[in-house]
Amino acid sequence: MIERACYLPGLDPSAISWRNLTFARGGDTALEVAVPLLTEQDINNLVTHVREQAATHLRPMSVTQIVEVIDAVIARLLDRQDPYRQRMEQALPAITGYDCEMICRGLTQYLKTFRKPELLRFLAEDFPNPNILDDFQPLTKGGYGKAFGPPALAHIWAGNVPALPLWSLVCGLLVKSGNIGKISSAEPLFATLFAKTLAEVAPELSDCLAVVWWQGGDEASERAMVQATDLTLAYGGIDSLTAIRSRMPAGKRLLEFGHKTSFAMIGAAALDSAKAADTAQRAAFDIARYDQQGCFAPHVVFVERGGSVSPRRFANYLAGALTAYGKRYPRRELTLAEANSVVAWRQQEEFSNGAEVLSEALGDWGVSFYDNGGSFGPSCLNRFVRVIAVDDLAMVPSKVVPYRAMLQTVGIAVPPDDLFKLARLLGEVGVTRIAALGDMTTPEAGWHHDGRFNLSDLVNIAEIDTRAPLAADKLAFYDD
Amino acid sequence: MARNIIVDELLTFIAEQNPSDDAFNALALQIFAFQFQNNRPYASFVRSCGKTPSTVKRWWDIPPVPINAFKTLDLTCCPPATAAAVFMTSGTTQNGLRGRSYHAALEVYDASMRRHFAERFMRGDSHLSMGILFPEPEIMPNSSLAHYLNLAIKTFGTSDSEWLIGADGIDLPRLISALERAEATGESYALLGASFSFVHAIDALQEQGRRFHLPPGSRILDTGGFKGQSRDIELDAFYDALCHTFGVARSHCIGMYGMTELSSQFYDDGNLTCPSVKSGPHWMRSRVVNPLTGVSVPKGQTGVLAHTDLAHYNIVTTILTEDAAVEVDNGFLLLGRVEGAEAVGCSMAVDEFLKATAGC
Repeated sequence: MIERACYLPGLDPSAISWRNLTFARGGDTALEVAVPLLTEQDINNLVTHVREQAATHLRPMSVTQIVEVIDAVIARLLDRQDPYRQRMEQALPAITGYDCEMICRGLTQYLKTFRKPELLRFLAEDFPNPNILDDFQPLTKGGYGKAFGPPALAHIWAGNVPALPLWSLVCGLLVKSGNIGKISSAEPLFATLFAKTLAEVAPELSDCLAVVWWQGGDEASERAMVQATDLTLAYGGIDSLTAIRSRMPAGKRLLEFGHKTSFAMIGAAALDSAKAADTAQRAAFDIARYDQQGCFAPHVVFVERGGSVSPRRFANYLAGALTAYGKRYPRRELTLAEANSVVAWRQQEEFSNGAEVLSEALGDWGVSFYDNGGSFGPSCLNRFVRVIAVDDLAMVPSKVVPYRAMLQTVGIAVPPDDLFKLARLLGEVGVTRIAALGDMTTPEAGWHHDGRFNLSDLVNIAEIDTRAPLAADKLAFYDD
Repeated sequence: MARNIIVDELLTFIAEQNPSDDAFNALALQIFAFQFQNNRPYASFVRSCGKTPSTVKRWWDIPPVPINAFKTLDLTCCPPATAAAVFMTSGTTQNGLRGRSYHAALEVYDASMRRHFAERFMRGDSHLSMGILFPEPEIMPNSSLAHYLNLAIKTFGTSDSEWLIGADGIDLPRLISALERAEATGESYALLGASFSFVHAIDALQEQGRRFHLPPGSRILDTGGFKGQSRDIELDAFYDALCHTFGVARSHCIGMYGMTELSSQFYDDGNLTCPSVKSGPHWMRSRVVNPLTGVSVPKGQTGVLAHTDLAHYNIVTTILTEDAAVEVDNGFLLLGRVEGAEAVGCSMAVDEFLKATAGC
């Protein structure tokens, strides 16, 4: 069966030509996904359509109603008997190559963070009074304000980490925008299936969201979308973001989410003989999950000396834990280019940098260990990590300070006092999220993605000056 | 074992007609033991692969060194300062670091080149009038290709053979007069050089509206691909353009595939179809492997090339390239260099990290 990606409300499907993307990473049989070849006119028509439909159907809804709709959609996608969920479970492993079980578990864990209680927290995080999305609310400085999301919001997604588009889509819906999202060629299906589920759960909202495709970087299509919409959210690497930025019309905002790196820090307290194995297992989970492809996955693990398990022994524990994860959740098959990167990484770690490299014959994972003098640096990904011994974790922030602009998550295993002390130092050097080791790859609802505000960055506040109601009073029929 | 014994054995082996696989294997293991003993960084690499000369029984079990290692390690059995020649890669890749191959002496390199070149390019001719589209060794003393072409012209070139590229690039008037002379004499002519130099020559001649019809038996040798040094061009279009510009049939346009990290070369038997089948001499063996495991992939599947070149005795015989290929009968199809991997998720890939930290 050929899956059809994209969701094109208001366009006549028979007037569109399609092209097949072939995915052959997950198993023996290739999966074909058909994607539409859209003209600039099609894109303009879609933007106009979702903008109008959102104005009619989505913007009049209360944010509470919208939360309930999203909650109902998520409930369906959490149900493993639901046909859309089943299609995700069948297709996503073939598309991305990630292990089925890992995807299945990952989807559930991730979707769970979008249920109603989490969505309410998500709203509360950005808006002390979420009703500000529905109507004018009193502001603390005086006067009244109402938050308006962009009438048409563009999303440009990247990468193959399953379900990543959900963050920005949910944000777009909560601020009542008409949404048009460009899917990544590496994972075109999740956003499509989400849109279809939404259309079934809330038919009145079925045309408030469009999902489109073009070959990444296509100038005419990108330009058409960013010009027709009011605000653009874009994910991607340096080159693609630079290109998108160059296409933005003056006066329109672009919110960029570039690729990031993350690392882990393990204190001596997590390395006593009772805790070290569990610590290694948690670190290994963060490394194995989606084969380090997510921006929240660690490239380097800093390990403090002074615990009863030495950093070198910890590196061995980590190697053992990665072997176990490799059996439970096998790493996806690598392309020749990826395999080549692994060879280059091993060679560099061992022979250029003089690290001790632990790996196994099949090359499913690798740990390079630096007892002295290791520095922060990129992994070749796909379960290869650098372990660096340090005397004191407080030395780590100074090692990563040159990389401020690309830092995101730190997975940490330290006692409470150190947690806050280190968090402060890490924040100073640009880290935007500090998570418990083992939780790196599962950001919680309402997290500040790359340190930003998910919802309030999207809206404009229209405010009624404090003096305006007083002045209006003077014009009331009851004015003396 | 002493170096001179290895050299004698190699020279004998290269001169033989069809030595057996067992003879190849025996010499490969001898040289492996020699390198393990005399090349310290290589010995530590071999140990890190969990191997030693006593556990390696077949040549394909010799751990291949990734070519990147040539950039940071002095892989040599002689002290670098005593090397007769040091060949370096162009340094066009990451960080501008150049891979280095130290040659204690060049007698084996030269014997390897001559024997195989005579067979695959000279095709029975003892001498040809040659034009070389590459700078002389004096201009590029660390270029293995300059040395190779110098050997070609000195051993197999007639006295009117000449270098057609100077410090300022192609000497177009000399190239044109050499081609005109060849047309006039009716004697076979050979044009040899870097692939990208041929692109520049084709473009320059086309600009002047010049085409030539070199006499029968004339041939062309190109090597090295385009490496961003000329416009990139599909192989089929390239060989068509050679044929169109110089009047040499594609069957007589021979591609050489060589590397600074080797002492021997591969050739095809002309480029009627692309990609052509390339193969090496009897003192070389190539495998198409999964780069992660070093295990050969099934015939017909794409992998990267690992070469064992006995003539590279002073350095390491066995290297892991970054060249994608498919094994076929009588050789392999070269598919081009494996590019760096891009991150498929939102995490930063190495190349992007380097780009982002270029100013750090």
